[in-house]
Amino acid sequence: MQQVRHPDYMEILKLNDEELHRRLAFFEVTEEDVARLTGLKSFAERWTHDITEGLYELIMGQPESRAFFPDQATLARVKKLQNAYFLGLFSGKYDLNYVRDRLRVGMAHERIGMPPKLYLGAYRRYLALIHARLLEHFKGNASEAAKALESIRKVIFFDMALAIDTYIAAYLETMTRHQAAIRELSTPVIKVHDRILLLPIVGTVDTQRAHQIMDTVLLQVVEQQAKVMILDIAGVPVVDTKVADHILKTTAAVQLLGAQTILTGISASVARTVVQLGLEITRMYTRSKLSEGIELALTIVGKKITSKQDHTGGERN
Amino acid sequence: MISPSGNAQDSTQTWEIRIDKEADIVAVRQQVRELAKELRFDQFAVAALTTAASELSRNVWVHAQKGVARVSVVWNGRKVGVELELVDQGPGIANLERALAGGFSTSKSLGLGLSGTKRLVDEFHIESEPGRGTKVVIRKWKKEF
Amino acid sequence: MAGPIPILKIGPTLLATIQLELHDTVVDSFQTDVLEEIEKTGASGLIIDISALETVDSYVARMLANTAKMAKLMGTETVIVGMRPEVAATLVRMGYFMEGITTALSLEEGLQLQRQRSDAGDTE
Repeated sequence: MQQVRHPDYMEILKLNDEELHRRLAFFEVTEEDVARLTGLKSFAERWTHDITEGLYELIMGQPESRAFFPDQATLARVKKLQNAYFLGLFSGKYDLNYVRDRLRVGMAHERIGMPPKLYLGAYRRYLALIHARLLEHFKGNASEAAKALESIRKVIFFDMALAIDTYIAAYLETMTRHQAAIRELSTPVIKVHDRILLLPIVGTVDTQRAHQIMDTVLLQVVEQQAKVMILDIAGVPVVDTKVADHILKTTAAVQLLGAQTILTGISASVARTVVQLGLEITRMYTRSKLSEGIELALTIVGKKITSKQDHTGGERN
Repeated sequence: MISPSGNAQDSTQTWEIRIDKEADIVAVRQQVRELAKELRFDQFAVAALTTAASELSRNVWVHAQKGVARVSVVWNGRKVGVELELVDQGPGIANLERALAGGFSTSKSLGLGLSGTKRLVDEFHIESEPGRGTKVVIRKWKKEF
Repeated sequence: MAGPIPILKIGPTLLATIQLELHDTVVDSFQTDVLEEIEKTGASGLIIDISALETVDSYVARMLANTAKMAKLMGTETVIVGMRPEVAATLVRMGYFMEGITTALSLEEGLQLQRQRSDAGDTE
């Protein structure tokens, strides 16, 4: 079996050539900017070290951001990467490889848990440091320096957008994982007794939830080798044809596995609706009260609840 | 004529399987199953996809004796999915609407089971004309939560 | 016994365990073998274990139902055991309810069912 590529942020963010050009256009990165930036390569090489030091002065000077760089080795490595990052701004090649590279930077920061505020604050200082050096470089020619700064600013903002996108993509992934947990919790299958399971369904049942209910119920029936599955629908506010269909399918599937279903919590209005709609639920056990369902389930597995006083011959201690 | 949904991006990985003997149904099934598992679909989704693949490729075998299945990974921007396309030059389906509406045929032979298969997947597209063959495309997306 | 699906005898019951991908030649020999074994041994019960089947499409479902019907004509009751949860879900979602066949969660339960049935039968 050939290797399958797993989704990466490029795909999630739909970063293809089209999107790339759309972004470059919105950030107004022109041919002129590209030429100006490549023309500043020597400036970049001359000052990258300095600018990086200046940036980390801020980062290490604030306790919150300092915490991310606990030792010299980490700091040294990160500064090296920062230099490479700076030089990358002047590469003149703002293509998908450039984008992929920048995304990795964003991902790395997100992964270590650096909040966007620190990330953006650092970028601000970065631009200030670059501005100061540019003024020196253009020997006081403020308008040339301003043009250069503007070109650099465009690419830096382009990069920041990518960084923020990776934060968002990462948060979305976390959210979907939490959603999964919530869905699981909303289908609590309870073991009432040996081989008797109960699922109280509470709240509205839409198609997606119904799907999940069937899957969970069937998994539990097999895992617990249940003989009886009680589905209590007293907590379902509306039982219309669709909901009834979902419930019927679930009970049919449980029966297909070889277990019995008992449907309980059938209110007067549900009973009326079901018959009026002509729905077929006569082939399964149904009861109006959950307690009756439990008693029936016990009967099916060959047990029953008796009162202690029924035992003649006194109690055992 | 219905064409496949426009928002699915070009698939990046495709496996092609010729169907000209009964054992090929198993081959298509296995390819779909392996792919769905590798993409980490849950067991219910794997079963649904594999069963749909089995039904559809059996249709090709039974009605056309010859056809092609193409299994691909697809993206729709946020979710990953599996796409299966089946093309044959068989007799085609005369009454598509009825074939799609009906339940399973209880008779021994011509049970197309298309309506049942449709319920197992997220997207189902079919083009068929008597004498012109049949093309079916199905897609199932991995549930993100 | 010719085919690849093993059929064992446990008391008055035959146990067939399906462990492969089913396609027509396997299916044909399975049905033939089962019926021949019933004839040969006079088994009153047949248990088909499908716990290894990850996929049961309408063809296989029909085959199982037909096998049970054929066995019944010979006086043998069938119980299908070990259906996987995803198989049950898929069949029901397709709308294929497999009417008229008896299922049980496990081999043990299937045997118990057969015993109950034959006990009931003895009183006739």
